[in-house]
Amino acid sequence: MNLDQELAQLHPLLLRFAKAQLRHDSMAEDVVSETLLALLEKPEGFEGRSSLRTYATGILKFKIVDVLRARGREVHIEPMDEQSMDDALDALFAADGHWREPPPAWQQPERALEQSQFFVVLQGCVDKLPAKLGRIFMMREWLEMETETISSELDITANHCGVMLYRARMGLRECLDLNWFAGASK
Amino acid sequence: MSGPKISLSCQEVSRLLSDRQDETLPAADRARLRLHLVMCGACRNVQEQMDFMRRAMQQLGKESDGGP
Repeated sequence: MNLDQELAQLHPLLLRFAKAQLRHDSMAEDVVSETLLALLEKPEGFEGRSSLRTYATGILKFKIVDVLRARGREVHIEPMDEQSMDDALDALFAADGHWREPPPAWQQPERALEQSQFFVVLQGCVDKLPAKLGRIFMMREWLEMETETISSELDITANHCGVMLYRARMGLRECLDLNWFAGASK
Repeated sequence: MSGPKISLSCQEVSRLLSDRQDETLPAADRARLRLHLVMCGACRNVQEQMDFMRRAMQQLGKESDGGP
């Protein structure tokens, strides 16, 4: 396969991730085109360094971060309603702070990582998070940005960032528990 | 934080387990968390699940449909 064919094959994947992160179709298409253009113009940048997929994803991530930064400056992310956030989480716990339903262990989680269907469920669970939570969570876990950077980019306090990540993680945990591990006698 | 409370509730622990993914916890929190985890299987499960979710997220987009 030549470079163009490989990029054509990669294109849907890149687009899916850009859309999941930006939640804006035309912006996603833009960052993906820019990524592909960068690769077509400077193919020597990647040669021998890593797989094309890894290299392309790396470039795409940088472009997504740029868009998120620009957007963070344009659109002020208002503080989330801490009360309703707390309410949803509180429902998991009894008044004394114990789990209402103690979370069970997940069976053979490492095997899930070998199954492409698991990643479909994982992506679905991230997409189901409230938009702001999903975005912050992706910035932290997928773009692997430090929380300090995220807080300053989005102009929120470190504590607010921590609360949002906490809520996102608990939501994702719940979703995976329900949609993968509970029914998985795999 | 109010005073040196030794025992944490599961709810407090779940928040610390999340915070720990992002920063080094203060020594006092680390000690109380450790104690709680020794005693509480449900929170140990959540700890493992948080670590697992991090690994899974890092693989998202790298997982291969047709080999690397």
